[in-house]
Amino acid sequence: MKRKKQLFYDDDLVEWIRQNKKQLYWLAYSYVKNEQDALDIVQDSIQKAMQNYQQLLNKEKLKSWFYRIVINTSLDFLKKFRRVQVTDDETLLYLSSSSEDQYENLDLAGALERLPTKYREIVILRYFEDLKIEEVAYILNENSNTIKTRLYKALKILRIDMEQEEG
Amino acid sequence: MMDKKLNELKKQYQNARVPDELDDIVEAAIMKGKKEKMKNHKKMPTVVTKWVGSVAAAAAIFTVGLNTSPALAQTVNDIPVIGKVTQVLTFREYKENDKNYGADIKVANVKGLDNKKLEQTLNERYIADGQKLYSHYEKTVKDLEKKGGGHYSVDSGYKVLLNDQQLLTIERYEEQTAASSSTTMKYDTIDKENKIVLSLPMLFKDKAYVDHISSYIKGEMIKEIKESNQEKVYWVRGAGVPVDDLAEDELFESIKTNQNFYINKKHQLVIAFDEYEVAPGYMGVVKFTIPTHVIEKDLVSNKYIK
Repeated sequence: MKRKKQLFYDDDLVEWIRQNKKQLYWLAYSYVKNEQDALDIVQDSIQKAMQNYQQLLNKEKLKSWFYRIVINTSLDFLKKFRRVQVTDDETLLYLSSSSEDQYENLDLAGALERLPTKYREIVILRYFEDLKIEEVAYILNENSNTIKTRLYKALKILRIDMEQEEG
Repeated sequence: MMDKKLNELKKQYQNARVPDELDDIVEAAIMKGKKEKMKNHKKMPTVVTKWVGSVAAAAAIFTVGLNTSPALAQTVNDIPVIGKVTQVLTFREYKENDKNYGADIKVANVKGLDNKKLEQTLNERYIADGQKLYSHYEKTVKDLEKKGGGHYSVDSGYKVLLNDQQLLTIERYEEQTAASSSTTMKYDTIDKENKIVLSLPMLFKDKAYVDHISSYIKGEMIKEIKESNQEKVYWVRGAGVPVDDLAEDELFESIKTNQNFYINKKHQLVIAFDEYEVAPGYMGVVKFTIPTHVIEKDLVSNKYIK
């Protein structure tokens, strides 16, 4: 027959999901800032990914592809329920803890939280998730130069010396 | 090279508390995802049956369309036929490419058979099938347009699987793609010497072959499921796949007396199932080569199958 059907292996995907569920959750949480909503987004994203996995031809791109799904699902969610972001219990608990060397970090954490999404997401993907600039660009559907510029700006806002940041 | 503070933040990010429900939610989503997939694939056969048995009344329009519409591309093969070489050529090709709709239908045409009447019968059937598919395509597009548009395409053609002194086997496929795609196959095995089209029952002495072939295929299905660690799935009992997802009547029990079949180059019998007939859609069209010893006793002779 003319078009050979690509055999589709669910198991690789399922395995990957199980290994990376925490990261998926954190990523969703960094957008929606709410436990229950982040869980909902993880759930939705898994189902979307399973439905469309066949269309992902280059399986090496799985991580970027999946992150893209999580981010898009999160953004859709925020669009739908444009809600006032209340500080939840976790942050309150954190804010009320008063050890001295956490104080400095809190400042930075707070600064990161206050960053507009378009900067914060890049810091998270590039530094916390160790993705390459090109991968970040793919996930956010922007070109690499835009990502580099935003990353530079983000770090500047965070007042982090970035002399050593490579392209 | 990364800023120390950023490293701190990274640690914080990675050590953030994860809700206890996460594990359960992830597993539930995986289960649901698997079920959805199964369900979607199983829904398809109804669509297939619809279009295979669709209105033949519009066939006349097809002929007119083929000959008058400028969008139609007609392929005429002027390759000279030397001696008695049997050939299968493209009689007509219909091509249409729209942003949302597409059709590519190649109609097979057999040339050079001794028995002209047989040749004509085959060719007429191929043309009729092409017409049917095309009119169905037109109707579907029209229906979709009425509902506000959609995606739909058909792709049909043929392949010569065997063409030796004695036998000619033609495989024809029809693939339709909407949200998901499905493929059906048709096979013709022609005995050139005796000038007949073979059918499955005529190869055997009695109906015992149905059971013998069916139980062989069931065994193979179970073996393949186990060996592939359930990456391959067939709707069959006894393979350790939870059956509760499947309705009883959807499980494979037996081949039809006139099941799709052909004879391959080694002159072995091959039994074919359309997409979704015995397995989820991702398995595609499924074929089983039947070792001759399995059916040896049932065969009328070893004339075709060796």
